[in-house]
Amino acid sequence: MDNVSYQRFPTVRIRDMKDDVLKFELRDTDASIANALRRIMIAEVPTLAIDLVEIETNSSVLNDEFLAHRLGLIPIISDRAMEMRLSRDCDACDGDGRCEYCSIEFHLSVKCTGDQTLDVTSFDLQSSDPTVVPVDCAGRAADLGGFDSSEQRGILIVKLRKGQELKLRAIARKGIGKDHAKWSPAATVTFQYEPDIHINEALMETLSLEEKQEWVESSPTKVFELDPATQQVVVVDPEAYTYDEEVLKKAEAMGKPGLVEIYSKEDSFIFTVESTGAVKASQMFLNAIEILKSKLDAVRLSFDTEEADDQFGELGAHMRGGGI
Amino acid sequence: MNAPDRYERFVVPEGMKKVAYERDMKVMNAATFTVEREDHTIGNVIRMQLHRDPSVLFAGYKLPHPLQYRLVIKIQTTSQSSPMQAYNLAITDLTKELDHLKAAFEQETSQKQAEYY
Repeated sequence: MDNVSYQRFPTVRIRDMKDDVLKFELRDTDASIANALRRIMIAEVPTLAIDLVEIETNSSVLNDEFLAHRLGLIPIISDRAMEMRLSRDCDACDGDGRCEYCSIEFHLSVKCTGDQTLDVTSFDLQSSDPTVVPVDCAGRAADLGGFDSSEQRGILIVKLRKGQELKLRAIARKGIGKDHAKWSPAATVTFQYEPDIHINEALMETLSLEEKQEWVESSPTKVFELDPATQQVVVVDPEAYTYDEEVLKKAEAMGKPGLVEIYSKEDSFIFTVESTGAVKASQMFLNAIEILKSKLDAVRLSFDTEEADDQFGELGAHMRGGGI
Repeated sequence: MNAPDRYERFVVPEGMKKVAYERDMKVMNAATFTVEREDHTIGNVIRMQLHRDPSVLFAGYKLPHPLQYRLVIKIQTTSQSSPMQAYNLAITDLTKELDHLKAAFEQETSQKQAEYY
């Protein structure tokens, strides 16, 4: 077999990297790969989420299934999720899908004794594995100075009045977003094409200052700016361009079609990845690449189908006695 | 009431092959691949990679029905190659591209971490 390869060589440049938000540029690859990675980040990166709830006592105002639904939606730190097995594939447990290799157990036991309303939050969930806990949103916000750090609250599950009690046992399992949205690690994942803007300087010179200002303001987002010093129209933020064609329509209305040419570069993408906190945003992207590789591997043809391959090609045609 | 279970979207049942192919009776060097329990995520990726191969005359994919979770890829090649070869080459190239992407990303993140500290 000849060793030809039609591979592409993508490049990455990270613009901004925080724990839960990642903004980066992906170049020299196809839109299908960018979209596949986006789809996998939303629907196929595995995480942990509460899947089975056994309620012992519930005298709160919310009914059992309502509580179970809310518990399922709580994001859980899922760094272990890639190595864990899915419950249905697990052979170590005795059939009920609850062993230590495929699940994590949580306990919640709260009773309201005081006169004040008691908030039951995700902090009250006690895990059997100290590394697997619900995501701590207030802790991180405190670092950014947004919240008073003494007010660590966690995600609210239910509020209890005096005398109401809630006691339950919950099992968290590995799953993917395709099965149920509670397992999706992504808050939003978006990508946009990078715009390529060319201003026709010669045509631009034929406009008066007021006309230039009018044209710059016709764009709903601030893409262009009139530089007061040089009185030239400059591109200030090409990515703010939302591919509405307002500036093009305005140029035509002013009698100057072709004043600016805006194309989207077909192989340049700007990704914004936001995570719920279950998995770090950069880790989510790496997991997505791994998952895409394993999907492609699963779809490869096996050897016994390849052996039937030699029926094809010129030899095959000759043997079958015909064809072009 | 008639909705299929959610896990049907990605769990291949016992006895069903993940990928199967059928040679096309009427056209030379053409085959149709049926992939079970997959969707546009890999269908589009494989199709676009097949288009880059000059020995591939025709490459297309479809999901015949939105409630039946299978993918059909149709490939026709010149007599220089065969649909199976083209398919496997496309997957190999894609795997190499993803390895390259992963290495590039990991390098970028470690650089960013180093800058941060």
